[in-house]
Amino acid sequence: MAFFSRRRKKPGRTSSVDARPNSRESSRDNKERTTQSLLLSPALEENLSHLKKIFTDCSDVVFREFLFAQREQIKLALVYIDGLTNKSQVSDQIMRALSLEVPAATDNTAITKANALHYVKMRGLCVHQVKETEKLQEAVDAILSGDSILLVDGHATAVINGSRGWEARSIEESQIQGVVRGPRESFVETLRTNTSLLRRKVKNKDLKIESLTLGEVTRTDIAVAYLKGIVNEGLVTEVKQRLARIKIDGILESGYIEELIRDNPMSMFPTVGYTDRPDRVAANLLEGRVAIFVDGTPMVLTVPHFFVEAIQTPEDYYEQSIFTTFVRLLRIGSLIIALTLPSLYVSIISFHQEMLPTPLLLSIAAQREAVPFPVFVEALLMEIAFEIIREAGIRLPRQVGQAISIVAALIVGQAAVQAGLVAGATIIVVALTAMASFVVYYSGSLAFRLLRFPLMFLAASFGLFGLIGGLIVIVVHMTSLRSFGVPYLAPIGPLVPGDLKDSFVRAPWWAMKKRPHLVGQNNPVREVSGMRPKPPQSTTQKGGDADAGRRQN
Amino acid sequence: MLEGGKIDAWQAVFLNVIMVAATALLSAPAIMAAQAGHDGWLSALLATMLGLPIAWITVKLSSLYPGQTLIQYLEDIIGRWPGKALGLLYLLYFTHITSIMTREYGGFLVDVFLIGTPITAVNAIALSISAYIIKLGLEVLARSNQIFFPWIMVSLVLTFLLVIPEMDLTKFQPVLEAGGLEIFKGSLAPWAWHGEIIAFAMVIPFLAKPGEAGKIVILTFIILGLIFFLLVVVGLAVFGPGLANMNYPILNVTRVIALARVIERPEPLIMTVWVAGGLFKVTFFYYIIVLGSAQLLQLKSYRPLVLPVGIILTALSINIAGNTLEMFGFIAHYWPFYALSTFEFGFPAALLGIALIKNRGIKGK
Repeated sequence: MAFFSRRRKKPGRTSSVDARPNSRESSRDNKERTTQSLLLSPALEENLSHLKKIFTDCSDVVFREFLFAQREQIKLALVYIDGLTNKSQVSDQIMRALSLEVPAATDNTAITKANALHYVKMRGLCVHQVKETEKLQEAVDAILSGDSILLVDGHATAVINGSRGWEARSIEESQIQGVVRGPRESFVETLRTNTSLLRRKVKNKDLKIESLTLGEVTRTDIAVAYLKGIVNEGLVTEVKQRLARIKIDGILESGYIEELIRDNPMSMFPTVGYTDRPDRVAANLLEGRVAIFVDGTPMVLTVPHFFVEAIQTPEDYYEQSIFTTFVRLLRIGSLIIALTLPSLYVSIISFHQEMLPTPLLLSIAAQREAVPFPVFVEALLMEIAFEIIREAGIRLPRQVGQAISIVAALIVGQAAVQAGLVAGATIIVVALTAMASFVVYYSGSLAFRLLRFPLMFLAASFGLFGLIGGLIVIVVHMTSLRSFGVPYLAPIGPLVPGDLKDSFVRAPWWAMKKRPHLVGQNNPVREVSGMRPKPPQSTTQKGGDADAGRRQN
Repeated sequence: MLEGGKIDAWQAVFLNVIMVAATALLSAPAIMAAQAGHDGWLSALLATMLGLPIAWITVKLSSLYPGQTLIQYLEDIIGRWPGKALGLLYLLYFTHITSIMTREYGGFLVDVFLIGTPITAVNAIALSISAYIIKLGLEVLARSNQIFFPWIMVSLVLTFLLVIPEMDLTKFQPVLEAGGLEIFKGSLAPWAWHGEIIAFAMVIPFLAKPGEAGKIVILTFIILGLIFFLLVVVGLAVFGPGLANMNYPILNVTRVIALARVIERPEPLIMTVWVAGGLFKVTFFYYIIVLGSAQLLQLKSYRPLVLPVGIILTALSINIAGNTLEMFGFIAHYWPFYALSTFEFGFPAALLGIALIKNRGIKGK
């Protein structure tokens, strides 16, 4: 009943809000109605009282009134949010400059109330970025995003000073995609820092960073970055359209946006990529993709995202190509192991024992002699146990980490085998599966981690036939996926022969002449041909005859 | 448009090869060897040669009626109601052979690997997977097939390479011991297999470049010819004419593989890959039945038909034959005559004749 009575009261209160805009209940809609259309008034007091009404009970908003140094009857006021502005900048470059320092050279024109604004802006303020507005709403938005606004008595204009500066994490090494060779820096939680990291990598006027605000309550800044001239314009329009559709109260991480702009909302496979590495974003933009930065998170979305990106790391492009090819094949092997090894083990032990060489079969049979469960139950138990350990490893407080790892290693590893609950071979299979699933790009392996379980069930019921049936369904599902209209499994299905140079193998840079066809066809040529390095013509001539023969060859 | 997807030339080639070869992997060598003995390899070559005219008719008919599938141009060629009647017969024929091949696969799995599992379970699962693929459309079918096809080929080539130690080429001697008639008889069943290419007429309109259909079938026949030829050659070289008595000769070939005590009896893995091929074959024909029915009934979407057709196919696939031997007997002795004289060769040839005469008439006017 209390709930109903509270709701019934509400209309009464909101009607009072209209009369008194400073009511605590004033919702966003209300504020919008009162401030959206409102212009600032020339009277400083009126402006301040408006702002004070808007920021009722916002203890972190600072209203600082002071007098202009050159002419005391001109009153000034500074409004900002404590903690979002750079304090020294606000004190030194705005307040000190305006209230204490008299400009060294003054011309003969007297400062009056009428030209004070011009004088303040042009002579007094020592701020690098200054903007003017006459709208109350814009002033409020500026305050909320960390700028300070300066109001001058007698002028219906607010000067927005770019004085943002808040406590932020410094740029650190990437935590989710480490490299041995390559840049260390990773994105942080501040949007502007992130875009600057990108701009530092791509110093080009064609790098466009368009910004918009999403989240009705959180007003989160979003930036859409792309390289004009390389990207397909249709893709940019599509990305912007999908972003414009979003009407949600808050965006706290790029994951919100990812789930709202995906092509296949119910698929386990990620059709939107994310990374916290500026070099990966730059490489993606150079291939014709679009990046979506979200303020408040280091994870930057990139679209379209292909399945092969799960086996690509930034380091692949810095390390030599032959070794990278080997590593890529290793990753594909790991991917297959992560998905199918437990089910393959279950189906071979339960249905197709003849596939194992006899000594191995005997040894496994001996191990399994004391195990009371069928192999499926055994493997399932161990897989679930491992998932629990993995989850515990991520969530547990750092201080108890040691205890967990000992318990996990001892109980799950050793004691389970000694107690005869599981066979040693099962432990090996589970451990290998677990390690293999970490080799590939993290979000790419999530689907495989989950799909392992239905595959194990199928393998236990129908042997290899069940396994291949499950695999076919998975592959078919993946082929049906699209990421921003581009087939997710490209360049494998549909086969794009030219793009295979950067899938299972990584061709040397002088051989990757074209951008990936499906994202970069707008501007396909990446580099001039004929860059394959050759040794220079030998100038030191020792044996004339031998050298002549070589030159003929 | 019932089907919005487009498939490219290579995807079409792979689909065609799977459509013909996937079931042939199991039993074709035995059927050829049963008639032609150790000259079965000649039957294989002859079958591919004999299949070419069917492929030519298929392509020619489609080029005369661009943008139309077999079911659609039937009405143009022989009139509305006769066309619909023949279209219905074609769909029934496709339903018949699809249930046979489903039975063939289910039977194979139940006979060899999943002994004791009811064939109903295997067939129902296989057809559910097919139904899922068809729901997603031709494009997804072609692309998934494109992903599995290389594995099927690799498994074939690997099998052929790994049994080289077991081969004995003297088993082919004396060459041409069987007479021409025996060789021809041996080629009848594989010929009918090649004749399944007529189903390609249902997807030619969905090619990205329908003009490439001719090239596609030629490439298909080159690959098919090689597969059939190598299947028989390897089977004969390993087992000799005794091949004829085996139900699944190529399975037995993979069973003799033993390499360095590491790879021993890899047949479950290899067969698994082939089962994938068989599944795509069933899916392709299942798709054609569903698409053809929708075109015959002039529906806006074929998707409502997926489930009913699937249930019919599952039921038929269980009841189409009492046991594996009965089914192989039908495939070896009756099916070639039934298929070639009517739906695969007889009808298309007649249709092409009528179409050519009609077209000449139109041009004459």
